Amino acid sequence: MKWIGCLLLFSGWIIVATALLLLTGLAQRFSFITAGLLVELLGLALLALSYKALQTGRQRGQP
Amino acid sequence: MSLSLCLLCILLVPLATAGLALMQQGLGRSRSAAHAMLASLCALAIAAIVFVLVGSSWAGYSGGLSHTVHIGGVAWDWLGAEPLLASGLRAGLQTNAYAALVLCLQIFTVGMAALIPISTGNDRWRLAGVCAATALLAGFLYPLFSHWVWGGGWLAQLTLRFGLPNLVDSGGAGVVQVVGGLAALSAAWILGPRQGKYTAGMATAIPGHNIVLVLFGCLLALLGWIGLDGAASILFYGASASQVVLVVINAVLSASAGCLAALLTTQLRYKKPDASLSANGWIAGLVAGSAGCGLLSPAQTILIGLVAGGLVTFLVEALELKLFVDDPSGSIAIHAGAGLWGLLAFGLFGPVAGPRAAMLLSQVIGIATLLGVMLPLLHLGNLLLNHLIPYRVDSDGDWQGMDIRELGAGAYPEFVMHAEEFVPR
Repeated sequence: MKWIGCLLLFSGWIIVATALLLLTGLAQRFSFITAGLLVELLGLALLALSYKALQTGRQRGQP
Repeated sequence: MSLSLCLLCILLVPLATAGLALMQQGLGRSRSAAHAMLASLCALAIAAIVFVLVGSSWAGYSGGLSHTVHIGGVAWDWLGAEPLLASGLRAGLQTNAYAALVLCLQIFTVGMAALIPISTGNDRWRLAGVCAATALLAGFLYPLFSHWVWGGGWLAQLTLRFGLPNLVDSGGAGVVQVVGGLAALSAAWILGPRQGKYTAGMATAIPGHNIVLVLFGCLLALLGWIGLDGAASILFYGASASQVVLVVINAVLSASAGCLAALLTTQLRYKKPDASLSANGWIAGLVAGSAGCGLLSPAQTILIGLVAGGLVTFLVEALELKLFVDDPSGSIAIHAGAGLWGLLAFGLFGPVAGPRAAMLLSQVIGIATLLGVMLPLLHLGNLLLNHLIPYRVDSDGDWQGMDIRELGAGAYPEFVMHAEEFVPR
């Protein structure tokens, strides 16, 4: 999950950079860049959840 | 550009690092106080040396040499290409004082960014790990984003290459604060919480040991921030002396608004104002206000500071209680959270020549780059370093405290300590 999170973060940025390169209209760019940012937020959430799951598991393992 | 005014502002910047170091030390436990302070000093020292040796070459400066990649017919300025070891700086002092001033400021700002994660790792981050992470940040990762925004890189060329306004970060909300805050988040994920922080899914409050130092640190930080905002505005955005006066006014207003918002929020939520969260609100206000310092009106700055101060109290709680991120001084919320808000807020309220959406889009691109490029790079770099030099102290050291474990002596040898803290469990 951790690696997928990192991958999604970077993928989101690729969408942003591609939108900058390929699109010219402000509305088109805005929607694609927002979509890229949302993908990044998904990746961030995955990273945070993977860490939380790890900590929850550790706490359960404690005597 | 006023050389003397710029130099005066740069000379104030170390006060911000001193303030942050005091805050971090005060918000940690007494048994790791000397370690936290020494770690801060080591971070500043390593950051300065590594940045001059390697990082300054990559960070570069506007109008300096750079590496450019052509993608899709567009030239992307990715990396500075100045000589390594800052060679040529001495010979060029008379002809190119700008490069020397940029380096002088960035020696302090890179130290500030390196200082931010240390407080997150309070009570459990080994000194060797702190030094390694600082070298990574100062040598390779900070210079990358610094070049993109402050060194004439692609985020500073959005108008030229893509017809959008350039990203505005006139006081380092993104370059310094968010980069440091994301490094802190990565460190928190790698280190895990302090022993005893969470029991059966419940968080235990571990209060800081000296709130007076924390609050004094806030006052010092204000002076330093004025210097940082002023110097960066002059060097990277060509601010005039009269604009620097506005920078000073805005810095005071944003800190005040942040502090009062946090104070009010904690009063409403917990029935009493919380001193450490109010201090966090003060710094959060400074961080958020620095994105558009000198370019925004006082009323806009107050609004940005108010939101930052309120936001930080919720973020600190969400990170600690919902996501199990143990951040003793709230650095992630303050620097990453408020910094990102500051960048976005400039897009919402900053002065624009064209459509507002274009300005907002440029700021969102900056935020997306911080999250999509800088965070993965920081996290992967820290994971790799953690394999080579384990960041976290062993279990005994966790209970003993970092002072005894790593330094052999405590910060307050005449104080009576709680006996149970020294019993290995």
